[in-house]
Amino acid sequence: MIRFEYVSFTYPNADRPALDNISLHLLDGEFALVVGPSGSGKSTLLRCVNGLTPHFSGGVISGGVTVNGLDPIEASPKVMSRHVGFVFQTPEAQFVMDRVEDELAFALENAAMPPQEMRIRVEEVLDLLDLAPLRHRQLDTLSGGERQRVAIAAALAFRPQILVLDEPTSQLDPKSAEDVLQALVRLNTDLGLTILLAEHRLERVLPFVDQIIYLPATGSDLVQGSSAQVLPQIDLTPPLVQVAQKLDWSPLPLTLKEGRRHSLRWLDGRTIAPKSHSESPPAGRPYIRSEGVQVAFKGQTVVQGVDLQVWPGEIVALMGRNGAGKTTLLKTLVGLMRPKQGQIVVDDQNVTGRDVADIGRKVGYLPQNPGALLFADTVREELAVTLRNHGLPPQHAPVDPETLLAELGLAGKADDYPRDLSVGEQQRVALAAIMVTCPGALLLDEPTRGLDYRAKQQLIDLLQRRQRAGAAIVLATHDVELAAIAANRVVLMSQGEVIANGSPAEVLGASPLFAPQVARLFPGTGWLTVDDVCESIC
Amino acid sequence: MILSTTRNPWYVGLVLAAIAVVRAAIQRLDLSTSPLPFSILRFGLFVVTFSAIFNALSVHFGRTVLFVIPPAIPYLGGPVTLEALVYGTLNGLVLTGLFAAFTVFNQAVTIRQLIRLVPQAFFPVAIMVSIAITFVPVTLRHARDIREAQAVRGHRLRGLRDWLPLVMPLLVGGLERALQLAEAMTARGFASTDEAGHDALTRLTILLGLTLLIGGWLLRLVWGYAVGGLLLLLAGIGLIMGILWRVGRRVSRTNYRPQPWTGADWAIVAGAVGAAAGFVVPWPGLDRSSIFFYPYPQLSWPAFQPLLGLVIAGLLVPALLALRLPVKNKRGVKRPSPTAQRGEPQIPPAGGLGGP
Repeated sequence: MIRFEYVSFTYPNADRPALDNISLHLLDGEFALVVGPSGSGKSTLLRCVNGLTPHFSGGVISGGVTVNGLDPIEASPKVMSRHVGFVFQTPEAQFVMDRVEDELAFALENAAMPPQEMRIRVEEVLDLLDLAPLRHRQLDTLSGGERQRVAIAAALAFRPQILVLDEPTSQLDPKSAEDVLQALVRLNTDLGLTILLAEHRLERVLPFVDQIIYLPATGSDLVQGSSAQVLPQIDLTPPLVQVAQKLDWSPLPLTLKEGRRHSLRWLDGRTIAPKSHSESPPAGRPYIRSEGVQVAFKGQTVVQGVDLQVWPGEIVALMGRNGAGKTTLLKTLVGLMRPKQGQIVVDDQNVTGRDVADIGRKVGYLPQNPGALLFADTVREELAVTLRNHGLPPQHAPVDPETLLAELGLAGKADDYPRDLSVGEQQRVALAAIMVTCPGALLLDEPTRGLDYRAKQQLIDLLQRRQRAGAAIVLATHDVELAAIAANRVVLMSQGEVIANGSPAEVLGASPLFAPQVARLFPGTGWLTVDDVCESIC
Repeated sequence: MILSTTRNPWYVGLVLAAIAVVRAAIQRLDLSTSPLPFSILRFGLFVVTFSAIFNALSVHFGRTVLFVIPPAIPYLGGPVTLEALVYGTLNGLVLTGLFAAFTVFNQAVTIRQLIRLVPQAFFPVAIMVSIAITFVPVTLRHARDIREAQAVRGHRLRGLRDWLPLVMPLLVGGLERALQLAEAMTARGFASTDEAGHDALTRLTILLGLTLLIGGWLLRLVWGYAVGGLLLLLAGIGLIMGILWRVGRRVSRTNYRPQPWTGADWAIVAGAVGAAAGFVVPWPGLDRSSIFFYPYPQLSWPAFQPLLGLVIAGLLVPALLALRLPVKNKRGVKRPSPTAQRGEPQIPPAGGLGGP
């Protein structure tokens, strides 16, 4: 179905190839997962399948690509659009129309398809992606997951035999992401659609994948094979696979169900003292204290009566479903939204109603999309701008900007254009830009969205270093594994109220919804992370 | 069009009443997609009051003096007359009518439906407009995110150069999205370059048509050759229509759920054109003097020509048609274009526009 033979590709004005001598082969009806660190050429590889590379991007390509019997390099993307449906990262950025049905019909209208045929096709894809109830909705009233499903439906309108998706869930919360991935699995198993998917969330798709294509950073060769063959060779794996590898489970479990079969046998006959997560209760005064905070947005109460304390040197994970009030609470703490009632005390000062710029010196806030922060020509300049905003001359900066950049692993990038960096690096530049005033607290909104395992690990290391240095850190996140590894305390919100507040083991370990993989594998042990397992057995 | 030709309170009142009836009829069908930020009534009240007071205070002309502001006060000093008050009120009513007509039109026809009415030859332009409309809410959201993100970094708006941190990410972000969209459209087989061309012949013909149009108009208005000018005008219009039709046929494109142009649509157009024609075209035998009502210098009772009053009734066609349609559930699911969905006559595309 798809065959690459010794394909190399270099972007215009690039000094080294983005793809270097790549060969791979995909059969009809296979579900293949493309993994690899960011910058390894995943997007470029996917775009070769429908001819966007090199037709849209320009650049030099060599080698042979055959897709469904056609050569996408010779045929234009227009011809390939009948054979390959393509879905991109951000759903909003691929829509032309504003209504679900119109969007689905757009490509068909352009192809001058007779109206009767068009009606059938649109009905078909509406059903395939479960969109029939949403058919007349405006696209901007849909949730992220629904929008991405519309994008998939639109890509399937020509009845292509191949569907290619470039990190379709990286901008979605876990629930929406799961909806999208389940839809893909159904398309593959029921329709026999050939699917090529680049994805960070391995744990959700691993059970359904026929092949993994691993693109290492640079230098080493591409690895292609079944999950069991490829997983041991790559270092970016979900906790289940890591535990299985540590304990030498064979065959390698890909689902929790398979994993539990191993873990029950492994636990049998062993006595394990449940790990106690007794941490000394925080002493002293909290750095941030909210008292009875109530916030309304567009006439609706979004946060009601929240009392939250964050002490220096702790990481608090703020969790809850979409619309639970997590982001609103963070914005209120930093002064972007005004509480209707209650007060906020930072560093023993009542800051309720104070200017954001004032609070911003004491409390750093990293929004969901770090790109909104970045505008300067160089990374170094971004830090200088923040200092200038606060009226601090560079020689009186609370920390030396160069030291900070080195700490964030950006020393070599100080003169780069920030928006050209990878998602993880952009996030760290944004962090540097807010940390240069040495705020005593850091609030991060969905910091792991769009990060691969490696970038996530770098973020966790960084946060833990700041924590040891005495910073009070709050993470609003859907990412259970992040909360399990990094947080000292988990605060669960629902409908604007705090419904649980305690150690990760208490709040997450017992929850059927929020339990991390390790807790599900070893119930009753109090283990949450791979490190917990290692500590107990090594 | 009627509203802009007359200040006769009878006719203005009748048109306003017609608009109100059409609006009520449409709302009964629950066609409204976007609730108005403020009501037409409140807008009208404000405009009428403001216009009346402003005119009365600034125009000291007319014979019926109500009271006199001491001339020592600059600008406002002088007699305040009933005539000025009445004329200001009428102007306010006309403005309200124009606003109301556009609102009603907007409620009945979505922008997408308008785009579908655009000739096929201009399809790429229509797509561009459509994308622009879709871009607006995304860009607004993006702008809010950026403002918040910069505020947290201690950004304050003090001078011109402080706009840079807000504008730069917005521009770059917009460009990035535009590129992504271009890529997505390419992946879905949209290629604007191979459209059946706007070749040299097409361009020349359109240019020629426009020249004829302008020439004819100048002839009629400036040099006073009525017949010759009219002929040139018609020739120009004919040429442009012809070339649009030719190019349109070459563009291969179909419409999802095409909306047939039905008898009802013709009736609406006829009603609106009839009403407009009654007021604009100098029909022989029709006494048109009542149209030009002017309160200065002495307020008089406006004349009323029953035939012209009857002509305005043509604007009610969409309301009559709407009354024939079944009433939809008021709290039903939001449907931006119910007409398209039911394949029934498009409600009043012409009624709303023809009115003003």
